Amino acid sequence: MVKDEHFKLLAFLITSARGCVDEPRLYGPLRLIDAASKLINIMRLEGKTTKELDKIQEIIEEKKDLVMHDEEAFIKFLDELVTELVKIVKGK
Amino acid sequence: MRDVIKGRRSVRSFRDEHIPEEHLRFVLEAGVWAPSGGNAQPWEFVVVREKSTIEKIKLFSPGLFGNPDVIVVLCVNKRRVRGGKHEELIALMDVAMAAQNMMLAAYSLGVGSCPIASFNKSAIKELLEIPEHVDPVLMLSLGYPDEWPKPPKKRPLEEVTHYEKY
Repeated sequence: MVKDEHFKLLAFLITSARGCVDEPRLYGPLRLIDAASKLINIMRLEGKTTKELDKIQEIIEEKKDLVMHDEEAFIKFLDELVTELVKIVKGK
Repeated sequence: MRDVIKGRRSVRSFRDEHIPEEHLRFVLEAGVWAPSGGNAQPWEFVVVREKSTIEKIKLFSPGLFGNPDVIVVLCVNKRRVRGGKHEELIALMDVAMAAQNMMLAAYSLGVGSCPIASFNKSAIKELLEIPEHVDPVLMLSLGYPDEWPKPPKKRPLEEVTHYEKY
C-alpha cells in the first residue's frame, strides 16, 4: 500500500488538510497545486498525460516556490495554470 | 564564514548520491555545539537514512520536497526543558539554532539542506517510535542538490536594523 501512488496522494491530501488548519493562508493553494503535480505523475504512469498536461506540470514545478518570496507572482502563476486548463478544455 | 552564511540555500531537489558517514557526523556534531538557554541542550536528533522509512515520512510531510539522502528530525526533549513561563519557547529557539548550525555545516561540505516544519507531528512521532516526552518540531532534509537555488530577496539591512532605539 505504501508504494501505491494513489495512496501516496491520499496521504498527502489528508495530511495537508490537517496542516492547513495551522499553516499560512497561501500554503493551502500550494498544497493543492503540489497535489495537482502529483496527480499528473499518476496520470503519466497510467498513460493519460498529454503535452498540455506536461506543460502544466512544468509550470508548477518551475514556479511553485514563488509562494516563499513573492505572493503576487505566485497568484499570477495560479492564474496562468487556469489559463492553460481553459486552453485544454477549449481544445486549443 | 560569510560565504557559507550567504551561500546556503533551502534545497528542494536532490541528486541520488550518498552523503559519507563522516560528513553526516560533522553536520550532526555542529548541531550539538549550538548554544542553548541555561545549557539545557533540550534537543534530540532522529537520523533517518533508510529509503523505505524516508518514503513513509514523506507520506506525512507535505513540506518535504525531493528525494533527500538523509532526514534529521529535530525534537525537543521535554524532560530537559526547565520549568518557567518561556522555557518551551526557548527550547524551540535552541533547536532552531542547532538546525542552523547543521545547515551551515552541511553547506560547507557541499551538502544541501532544507528546514521543514510542515509535517504531521503525531504521525511522525508514531512512525519513528519517538517517546511521549519528546516532541518532533523540525525536520532537515539533506542531500546533494540538483542545483543550488538562486538567492531569495532579502529585506535590506537598513530596513531591519535599529540602532540605539527602534
